[in-house]
Amino acid sequence: MDVLTPPAGAAAVKAASTRAAALLAGYQPLPGIRDEFVDRDGRLRPHWAPVLDRLSGDPAEVDRAFALADRHQRDSGVYYRVYDAGQSRERSWALSHVPLVIPEAEWATLAAGLVERAELLDAVLGDVYGPGRLVADGSLPATLIAGSPDFLRPMVGLPTRGRRRLQIYAADLGRGPDGRWWVLGDRAQAPSGMGYALENRIALSRAVPDLYGGMNVRRLAPFFQTWRSALAAQAGREASRICLLTPGPLNETYFEHAYLSRYLGFLLVEGGDLTVRDGAVFVRTIAGLKRVDVLVRRLDAEFADPVELEPASRIGVPGLVDAVRSGKVVLANPLGAGVIEARGLLGFMPALARQLLGRDLSLPNVATWWCGHKAEREHVRRNLDTLAIAPAFPARSGWPLPPNPTPGAELDDKARAALETVLERRGFDVVGQEMVRLSTMPVWTGGRLEPRPFTLRAYVVATEDGWEVLPGGFCRVSGSQDARALSMQLGDRSADVWITADQPVERLSLLPSPAQPQIRRVIGYLPSRAAENLFWLGRYLERAEATVRVVRCLAGLLVESTETTGPARDAVVRLCDMLVAWGAAPESEHKGPKAPALLDQALRSAECGGSVLSLIGEARRTASVIRDRLSSDAVRALADLSRLFEHEGVSVSQAEALDLCDQALRVMAAFSGLVQENMNRLSGWRFLEIGRRIERGVLTGRCVRRLADAEASAASLEALLEISDSQITYRARYLMGALRLPVIDLVALDDGNPRAVAFQVARIQDHLAALSNLPTHAALDLPQKIVLQVATGLRVTDVEDLEPADVLAVENRLMELSTEITARFFSQTPPDPEEGA
Amino acid sequence: MIYEISHTTVYDYDGRVSFARCQLHLEPASRDGQRVLAHELHISPKPVESTRVRDFFGNWSLNVAFAEPHQTLTIRAVTTVEAPARDAIAPMLSEPWESVRSAAGVIDDLGAGSPVHGLFGSRHTPISAAAAAYAEPSFTPGRPIVEAVTELMGRIYDDFTYDPKATEISTPIAEVLSNRRGVCQDFAHLMIAGLRSLGLPALYVSGYLRTNPPPGAERLVGADATHAWTSAWCGAGLGWIGFDPTNAILAGEDHVVLAVGRDYADVAPSSGIVLASSGHTLKVAVDVRPIG
Repeated sequence: MDVLTPPAGAAAVKAASTRAAALLAGYQPLPGIRDEFVDRDGRLRPHWAPVLDRLSGDPAEVDRAFALADRHQRDSGVYYRVYDAGQSRERSWALSHVPLVIPEAEWATLAAGLVERAELLDAVLGDVYGPGRLVADGSLPATLIAGSPDFLRPMVGLPTRGRRRLQIYAADLGRGPDGRWWVLGDRAQAPSGMGYALENRIALSRAVPDLYGGMNVRRLAPFFQTWRSALAAQAGREASRICLLTPGPLNETYFEHAYLSRYLGFLLVEGGDLTVRDGAVFVRTIAGLKRVDVLVRRLDAEFADPVELEPASRIGVPGLVDAVRSGKVVLANPLGAGVIEARGLLGFMPALARQLLGRDLSLPNVATWWCGHKAEREHVRRNLDTLAIAPAFPARSGWPLPPNPTPGAELDDKARAALETVLERRGFDVVGQEMVRLSTMPVWTGGRLEPRPFTLRAYVVATEDGWEVLPGGFCRVSGSQDARALSMQLGDRSADVWITADQPVERLSLLPSPAQPQIRRVIGYLPSRAAENLFWLGRYLERAEATVRVVRCLAGLLVESTETTGPARDAVVRLCDMLVAWGAAPESEHKGPKAPALLDQALRSAECGGSVLSLIGEARRTASVIRDRLSSDAVRALADLSRLFEHEGVSVSQAEALDLCDQALRVMAAFSGLVQENMNRLSGWRFLEIGRRIERGVLTGRCVRRLADAEASAASLEALLEISDSQITYRARYLMGALRLPVIDLVALDDGNPRAVAFQVARIQDHLAALSNLPTHAALDLPQKIVLQVATGLRVTDVEDLEPADVLAVENRLMELSTEITARFFSQTPPDPEEGA
Repeated sequence: MIYEISHTTVYDYDGRVSFARCQLHLEPASRDGQRVLAHELHISPKPVESTRVRDFFGNWSLNVAFAEPHQTLTIRAVTTVEAPARDAIAPMLSEPWESVRSAAGVIDDLGAGSPVHGLFGSRHTPISAAAAAYAEPSFTPGRPIVEAVTELMGRIYDDFTYDPKATEISTPIAEVLSNRRGVCQDFAHLMIAGLRSLGLPALYVSGYLRTNPPPGAERLVGADATHAWTSAWCGAGLGWIGFDPTNAILAGEDHVVLAVGRDYADVAPSSGIVLASSGHTLKVAVDVRPIG
């Protein structure tokens, strides 16, 4: 039932139809350009009717629905890393709300064309890395292959596992004025965008469920299931392990890597997580090395192995080529598949299709003249003013023009001279291309619809017996009305792509094959790197929280006391000293009251490594590399937390500091809750917990020593109770003011108090015991021994006998525990790898 | 001439190395008239994995992994090899360089010997306007290719100072070009970049140079370490010819080819990834002794 449409009274219907007419009338396609939404005479194309209908509702309601999609994108942390002025930063995703609608019949033709192209490119790849007939018989220029940075010579002659070289193929498509779809470029290196397509679908289908449900939109999930099964089937093992290899969090599409691996149940790994032993690939996990069968490669091949490929790569897997050579791992795509991305190759596709497939491609590419041959070179020289000029190969040094196709007509004399030099010396580096005029689709802006040029990236994956095309894709909509050089990094938007059927779609049309191996939905062993980052995330957050608690306590005391006067001056001095000792604030150079300034520094100083701002920064940095393991709510909570302390301006007053601390503690509590509730309670959660508990144990110990020594005033003891959040428990238990021994007992030894040192130790003990159930270890390991000794020590100590030195010893043992946990679980990743000669 | 060559490489690490994976290019291949008569390789500690691979360019490479903790890695290669005398080339009789350029671009051959592999920029030899500008004066219209390349080689020899302290392997060509100092790798890379930037095929050769000169001859530069020079494709008839810009001579009987590639990165005698927490020192000793 459609809940978003207003009541269908006659007046409302009339208003809607008026608005529909107005929207349509206000939509002005660009002259000479094909439009998806309306035909040449301005008539609505019938398959868009439901969309227009939906947009003709109350404009405010439409905006609300779309805002919902934006919020979903923001909340789930969808981002794209952009680079400008040498800096990289995250940008949230910009969704163009109106989907691209393509009727299923038209899509079927397009999909068949895509499959045909994939088939052809697979054959070309197989020949280039295999028998080399196409070059030998003159169908494919040797220069065009040798010139590609993705022609990886070590891969020549190596066998591939499975029938195909090409496992994932993407095509960038545009539609020309005559209504035909054209391929603008072929992608096989590590095509991006599938994850964003999924995310766009989720956001939009939730925002306009009525429209989505009513249009029989083909579902995306079956495609991904098919792909996952196809990958698993190649592994050749019952319980195959599939990993997605990412260049890491600095990559522009890292969000997508994390998202896809979570969605598909693949392990997200970086090069440093993997190691090659005896020609097989293993992932370093907290339970030792585990075999990897399939690597979905999102790392450019050149960087995949520093031993045999790019020696300077720090993000690759040493020995990966050896592993491929021994046939013990499947890569999707295989190393070197990117060779088919060379623009120059587009000029040869028509002839290759006739030769290899025996027919013309039903999905042609943009006409391309490769200037390695004289006739084509002359053609380009003669027609410079009507063609676009582009490099024949991706990412090559010495190219004097912009890397994207540039209209020849726009080249000034200097650029023309540079081009002429290249044409003469190195014509094989240049292509001329037909100028593409993309068709337009509607975008919703300010309650109106406007035409914008777009390109569509479509995806094809190899299956056991053929190919599967994603029914949809990743549509990039230009920010301006000039669509010549589309790049996601230039501020465009993306749109969902709806393939609409006449019949209701089946939710799942997958035929289970009897040989289909079991898919692991539960992510198996935790990679050591992820475990370590979770551990540190826990430690940083806990330290930040403790610092906030100390600052809040200090701010409260400063209402009535200073370092020199007032009933709580003893506590004020001790808290200030503690903040300085923790590195939250600098040593004071001058005598005199320092407490008020300290409040601000401890919260917001960018210079002090121990300030709350710095600690949260560290926590976010650690979280950013394990994005696949944190819920989007948790990620968002961290961002909120950071924002609290980032604001510029004059230092905060006591009252503001109190308020800031309260807000921060609330967000921190929310984060803890989210982690408790949402993180699956596998080993990852335990490492985060252990990190927290160690930090809390150590910091509580420090507070006990600083605030509860023999000379401590009642105010200091109260401060200790407050910082360790134990006032209520204390009041409930002791009907008197803070006394030293009961306070110490409560915050140090009482393992029933969730803030006590002993409680932390007990929890660590539980977590380590659970982790030791990992099959490889039976006896107590070193971390378990340490924590057992500490727990026993705390249990048998009476509070009367607990000396500061004993507390210090516990803290030191906990620090030692941290080191030993690192050695035991994380440090199979040795320190920074170093290159040889 | 037959040589016995000993090539010792010692890595001394500041800390213990737990795992290392390396690729060695220390075994010459029999090729182009050169014959390898014997080859032995001694590695300490003993590698846990060892795979001998014939790479794309026909070089032998040995991929080794070490899992035994060690602080010193010693690799000693002993090779007996016969280097052929090269026929004299009459530079005047070679093809005009422009026709060599045209022929290289359209050749229907992707095999190891094809000029196409020498046409494109690589890590140490990027295509650049500066390298082209340096090389260009030698390539006057219609000039025979061997004559032009020989002159380029001679200009590098004259214009640049051999100075082992001036550069490291990572020093970019642009810097070598402006400082006018470097070692054999730099000169070879510069010459390659110049040729490629003009559209002419060139490859990098690593190898050895006879240590002690014949009586009466001058000792050649670069003889006590591995040497490097440039191989330039001089047309389908002449094929690849070695030019040694460090000594301004054609590669001949005094030169033993160890490996051929696009630049140093393809053929480094030893390269790889070492898992160690600290730095290392590297010592290389090469002795090339004629034995008959």
